[in-house]
Amino acid sequence: MFLALREMRRAKARFSMLVVAIALLLFLILVQQSLRDGLIGAFTGAIDRQSAPVLVYSVDGQRTLQASVISPRLRRTIESAGGVGQAGMIGLSTFTARISGGARTSVALFGYQIASVGGPDRLVAGRMPKSPGEAVGSGGAFSLGDTVRLSATPRAPALRVVGIAPDAEIQVLPTLFVSWPDYGAWVRAANPDASAVPPSAIGVSPSPGTSAQALVARIDAAAPEAEALTRADAARRTPGVEAVSASFSVIFLLFASVVPLVAGLFFMIVTLQKARSLTLLRAIGAPGTTLVRSLLLQVVIVLCAGIALGTLIWLPVSQATIGQLSLGFDAGAVLLWGALLLSLGVASALVAARRVLAIDPVEATTGGGSL
Amino acid sequence: MPASPCSREQPGEPEPGGARGPALQMRGVRKVYGSGTNEVAALDGVDLTVGPTEILALVGPSGSGKTTLCSIAGGLLTPTSGTVVVGGSDISRYNSRQLTDFRRNAVGFVFQTVNLVSFLTARENLLVVDEIGPRTGRRARQRADQLLEELGLTGRAGNLPSALSGGERQRVAIGRALMNDPCLVLFDEPTSALDTHLGEQVVALIRQEMKARGTAAIIVTHDLRITHHADRVATIVDGRIADAGT
Repeated sequence: MFLALREMRRAKARFSMLVVAIALLLFLILVQQSLRDGLIGAFTGAIDRQSAPVLVYSVDGQRTLQASVISPRLRRTIESAGGVGQAGMIGLSTFTARISGGARTSVALFGYQIASVGGPDRLVAGRMPKSPGEAVGSGGAFSLGDTVRLSATPRAPALRVVGIAPDAEIQVLPTLFVSWPDYGAWVRAANPDASAVPPSAIGVSPSPGTSAQALVARIDAAAPEAEALTRADAARRTPGVEAVSASFSVIFLLFASVVPLVAGLFFMIVTLQKARSLTLLRAIGAPGTTLVRSLLLQVVIVLCAGIALGTLIWLPVSQATIGQLSLGFDAGAVLLWGALLLSLGVASALVAARRVLAIDPVEATTGGGSL
Repeated sequence: MPASPCSREQPGEPEPGGARGPALQMRGVRKVYGSGTNEVAALDGVDLTVGPTEILALVGPSGSGKTTLCSIAGGLLTPTSGTVVVGGSDISRYNSRQLTDFRRNAVGFVFQTVNLVSFLTARENLLVVDEIGPRTGRRARQRADQLLEELGLTGRAGNLPSALSGGERQRVAIGRALMNDPCLVLFDEPTSALDTHLGEQVVALIRQEMKARGTAAIIVTHDLRITHHADRVATIVDGRIADAGT
């Protein structure tokens, strides 16, 4: 403690620079993670937010609501599969609309037949729709009381936002959850020639005693033309999402590698620079373990200070919104990355610790100590 | 400070006449580097005794084994054969951990060049001796302050080594070597980096401090102008004591 703290006090600038470097790296990691979460959430948030534990797509739909079409026959097969509790139609279409008389904008309409297997599972404001023409809007894009009209067909029924669901966008579009009749009305208004409004997917809940995973297996076995996915899998395996996750994972890996490299290199350089002092200390009877403890204490202090500073920088920035992407302060992510970087940093300093343990005290007699 | 193996009952009171045993006894000490045809004997059957309060100057040409002898006496090296007894303890077969403890508790060092921890002040360079062992806290601080005062360094206690002159640095090193109340202090070329006048002053100070504490010392030097401060001058040539002095 004595040696570690005295040295840090005498070399404030040097150690502060490492603290700042660690802080900036953690800050960048947290920004990237928030961007990734925001991006993926903007693409698939509505899937996570809808209430059905299992979503069933047509195989041809390639696990996307936009491309999946469930035929009446397939729908009957799904509904009759063993383990199905509730089943309701889910539709997704995009429209050009005006929100409260504003400029034209693209809007995604997420229609559900039964609120408990397709409606939003959580609201941050307002209430669930009770009457025709009422909708729940995605947070950040809509406010309570907004009126949304189809841009090309003003005669189509207007939708009034009565509830707000958090993180409920899909395809990075403002998203409205509406009842199946309202969904159908908008689809027909936009395409008067449509003879029917087929569902994009079927939202299903398992019957008592059946798990979501078991229900997926039973539906897949009963309906080869269908692909059932749990809610989490449906979001995670949406085309593009895995690629985005993998790309960010590579970035995280690079950042996570830089921290131990920087910390390890720094402490190795510091150890080499003070080699003569360390040799002297060994010569006058300092046990190698005492010097290693001092080194590791410095590593922990610097990393903890860097992590704390990085978190403090991130805290106000995380409240910002970039375009339609909302960042956010995720305490779990901060703790996870903090613990990971601390572990990696300490591990990287073990190389310097090995050098300390390798010091031969007799070098003090020759003026050596270059390790 | 922890009691060293050779602590005197009253450290400030020397015991002339040798009531205590010798500070150092070396018998048949050999130190060999390499093996076979590459074998080089740095020390070859050295017998040497240093009294409990004696100051011995060890002189000899470069490469004669002065520093090796000093290193073995101080537990920095182990002999290939022979026995080394310091303050009554036979350290010849000590393992690395025991030697570390021995260096911390029983001997003091003043090296030729590497003498102070660069990031510690003069006072902290003394206190570090306490910090690397079982800490005594206030006692150590009092002892450090007392040593600094005796060495005329009270006003420089808060200075880093880089802000001290060569003579001041050596004086701090002497203080550090005395912090653990050793039975033997080893000085390896303590004046090599100092001019003649300053060298004379430092060696006079060494004698004064050693005699005041009744502590034995070996001063390794090739500067014959300072050997008159020693009680005895031993000469080492080619790893053997050519003249043990009187």
